[in-house]
Amino acid sequence: MIDRTEPILEAKGLTKHFPVGGLRMPFSPQRLLHAVDEVDLAIFPREIVAVVGESGSGKSTVARLLAMLYRPTRGEIRYRGRLLGSLRTRRALLAYRRHVQMVLQDPYSSINPVYPASHGIFRALQLHAPHRSAREQRATVERSLEIVGLTPAAEFIDKYPYELSGGQRQRIGFATALACGPELILADEPVSMLDVSIRIGLLNLMAGLRDEQGVSFLYITHDIASARYVADRMFVMYGGHVVERGPVEDVLAHAKHPYTQLLLSAVPDPRAEVTVGPSSETGEPPRVVNPREGCRFRERCPLAIDECSRVTPRLRELRYQHFAACHVATRDGDAGSTGAWPATRTGDVGMSANGQHEGAHDARGPGVVYEGVWSQGR
Amino acid sequence: MDGAATILDVEDLVVDYVGERSNVRAVDRVSLQLAAGGFLGIVGESGCGKSTLCFAIARLLTPPAQIVSGKVHFAGKDLVQLHEGRLRHLRWREYSVVMQSAMNALNPVMTVGAQLADAMQAHERISKQRARDRAAQVMRLVNIDPLHLKSYPHQLSGGMRQRAMIAMALVFTPNLIIMDEPTSALDVVGQRSLMKQIRELQKQLGFAVIFVTHDMSLVSNFADRVAIMYAGQVVELGATRVLFTDPKHPYSAGLLQAFPSIHGPKQRLTGIPGNPPDLRYPPKGCRFNPRCPQVHERCLVEEPWPHVLPDRDIVRCHLYARQEAMAG
Amino acid sequence: MQTAIVKPEPVELSRPQRSRLGAVGRLAGAIVHDPKAMIGVVLLAVFTFVAIFAPLIAPYDPAAQQFLPMASPSSQNLLGTTNTGQDIFSQLIWGTRQSLLIGVIAGLAATVISMLVGVSAAYIGGTTDLALSLFTDVFLVLPQLPLMIIIARYAGQGSFWVIIAVIVITGWAYGARQLRSQALSLRHREFLEAARIRGERTSRIIVFELLPTMTSLIVANFLGAALYAVLSAAGLQFIGLGNINEMSWGTMLYWAENNEAMMSGAPLWIVAPGLCIALLGAAFALINYGFDEIGNPALRATRRRHGRRGNHS
Repeated sequence: MIDRTEPILEAKGLTKHFPVGGLRMPFSPQRLLHAVDEVDLAIFPREIVAVVGESGSGKSTVARLLAMLYRPTRGEIRYRGRLLGSLRTRRALLAYRRHVQMVLQDPYSSINPVYPASHGIFRALQLHAPHRSAREQRATVERSLEIVGLTPAAEFIDKYPYELSGGQRQRIGFATALACGPELILADEPVSMLDVSIRIGLLNLMAGLRDEQGVSFLYITHDIASARYVADRMFVMYGGHVVERGPVEDVLAHAKHPYTQLLLSAVPDPRAEVTVGPSSETGEPPRVVNPREGCRFRERCPLAIDECSRVTPRLRELRYQHFAACHVATRDGDAGSTGAWPATRTGDVGMSANGQHEGAHDARGPGVVYEGVWSQGR
Repeated sequence: MDGAATILDVEDLVVDYVGERSNVRAVDRVSLQLAAGGFLGIVGESGCGKSTLCFAIARLLTPPAQIVSGKVHFAGKDLVQLHEGRLRHLRWREYSVVMQSAMNALNPVMTVGAQLADAMQAHERISKQRARDRAAQVMRLVNIDPLHLKSYPHQLSGGMRQRAMIAMALVFTPNLIIMDEPTSALDVVGQRSLMKQIRELQKQLGFAVIFVTHDMSLVSNFADRVAIMYAGQVVELGATRVLFTDPKHPYSAGLLQAFPSIHGPKQRLTGIPGNPPDLRYPPKGCRFNPRCPQVHERCLVEEPWPHVLPDRDIVRCHLYARQEAMAG
Repeated sequence: MQTAIVKPEPVELSRPQRSRLGAVGRLAGAIVHDPKAMIGVVLLAVFTFVAIFAPLIAPYDPAAQQFLPMASPSSQNLLGTTNTGQDIFSQLIWGTRQSLLIGVIAGLAATVISMLVGVSAAYIGGTTDLALSLFTDVFLVLPQLPLMIIIARYAGQGSFWVIIAVIVITGWAYGARQLRSQALSLRHREFLEAARIRGERTSRIIVFELLPTMTSLIVANFLGAALYAVLSAAGLQFIGLGNINEMSWGTMLYWAENNEAMMSGAPLWIVAPGLCIALLGAAFALINYGFDEIGNPALRATRRRHGRRGNHS
């Protein structure tokens, strides 16, 4: 299912620091907010990669770095092998933007209220396909609207943003991104601000676009359940680091990093039977400024050992294509999940009945029922 | 309801937004009861009227919103009939409110302690010393070190600010706290943590809670009873677990369906097509009919009654008309 | 894929043309309902009408010295005559042109410059902002009247365009500051980021995406600038820095003052142009107040905030 050819976008050692703080005493070191540190990421054609994390995890910054809205402090990003830093001419930048687009989080502020909602789509075409006649452009715009489910397109093309609901506006956002004909769409929390019942429609849209149009997505979210719903692979970020990554089902069924397990234990599920245990003070995600060496999760981690304060853990492959950055997890090997948090569920997360090591084959593990209904094959 | 006394009884409450040319009915004949120490979740999406309902119950509505009719029985009185003076006496002592994004409602230029003292002194004549002691006490209740009383809001994290707001609501240990989406600005883990804390405080202090949210999974594990609102009406009301395992109203079923699960096989979900109605022009008959997968003729012309079933206090749906009749 | 249309949709299908007209129509409606704005618009309309049809309205040639000098108002000379026998009323009518034109042109020019400088500074940020802000501040602290006088002096016999130039040079900085402040608060709107992401040039983003959302402040700026221009022009002309041979309210004041009109029994010679200057200025000011009260509802979408954010990284 995942096309293991050349990646569309590949990042190595991606790092972004922001200077913070006001007045500085002379000779004191610049205070730097470490939004993203040493992130390696690759996105292949026809897949949805989820980046899951809470505030301060750096996930939105990663998206903005890939969209060339920020320049990385260190590290490199390659689009189809070409370094992004080498794109200097307007033509080269425009070409990049044609291939890598973005959908933003807030449907109420991401569309200019002064123009009809389709203005952005028309502009995108005028920028990236200027040779098309006005009639061709209009036809393409209508087609984009239809693809995202805003039909009849002729009605929607003239509507102003205030006439549209949140879900409709977000679809316009997708249509705008699609109009350029991109290979990859960076979706920064595209459904977080929408009503729950509307989210599914848009998540289905994303999956459909992957399957039918062959568009890849980088899906940024704080909701691990929605990540499971649409994504093929998943990255979990905390405090600017990637703490775990791998195929979605495997990460869910065999979460190795204590933070991932914390996230999973906090996922609200209205249908599951739950016992409310004693409240655990789990703290909050940190604001990482001028950090020392060591794991950034150590202060909240119930399993923290001495090494965690001294050495920053690196991602290690603990299961097939499944990596985690945790000294304890690495030490304990494949003996199932680290079990940092009590399972607050009867029944297990994901599909594996137990947490045992599978062996180096299908990373999805045995017994994964993968409904092919909306994944029309390769 | 069995056991505990009823502390709040809302009867046919109607709230309109008065416009220049016409009125919009934001809350349409809502009735619900809450037992002392109970936890009622009110769930609905944007525009369903749940926040308006909250504010109406707390008598905090501002024009153009106003209560048109109905009663709110609380502490032996009908809040709707009371004057502002009497209400001020009740407010914060008998009931208090925690609002959405409350953490942004804190005054950035006053210390937290000063704001707590302020809140206390606005409602009761209390000495500075006693106010300070009480402030420290409530801060401890919400697990914030009292030294933070001297801090300014921006020095506290988001979660702490939210808990500080809850502390503020607790200063006079009211019998009822109304919370309007108090967790919406927090992270997933923080939300869970806060919910647990609220539940614990409730067990400890015995107050009743009305918890308004758009995210039903938040209340699924903490509320005794849940009311589901749509387009200004309560479409279903009942015990939480029973309602969630067996939702009767098609909207409730649709809402529950809209949560992708991390357990079990991956399934394609459909959500609920369409959008909530514009309350200026609500659909004829049942307001949910344009989006309902089980719509039939009667739904297009006749508004459903709030039917009562053995395991459900309210279901506003024609599908259950017969059932109710049969159950006698 | 799901369609997302709900019937009945109370919103009429709008073609862009109709919407824009609709917005203008609503603006007109809003103005009619607001007394301040209404008065201002009426005044401005009257002055504009007079300026356009001056040749038809003025009874005589304003420069013709054909009457009895310093005459009192009569049916022949509604406002009396000057010390050289010119009809004051005709001068007043003809003078409207210059005064109105200077007000509008200088106001427009100053607004355009403040727009470009202020908004670019805010949007581009960084060193550009620093440089442009410094530039603005320099012009802001220059004392306006002395500067005006000096420039007008050195430009020789102050012509129409010199006056305009002087007013613009001394007047643009204030508006630039204001617009910069507003633009600063708007620059993080996501639709601007969205424009960047689809590949728009910065200049295009500023002009076509950002400025259109600031129209109310820009119009307010223009009205303020026009007011400033009218009063400044009158002031400059009054002290003789304008072209004293051209017909305008300011030069009327100059001649009237130089001939001690107040003392020698022709007070209307000073009062009439002075009143007109005040009224024109008031027209701009009233429309400005009215605009503030109308705000933006006629033209802008209401923004519904759900406050449903999980986190902000």
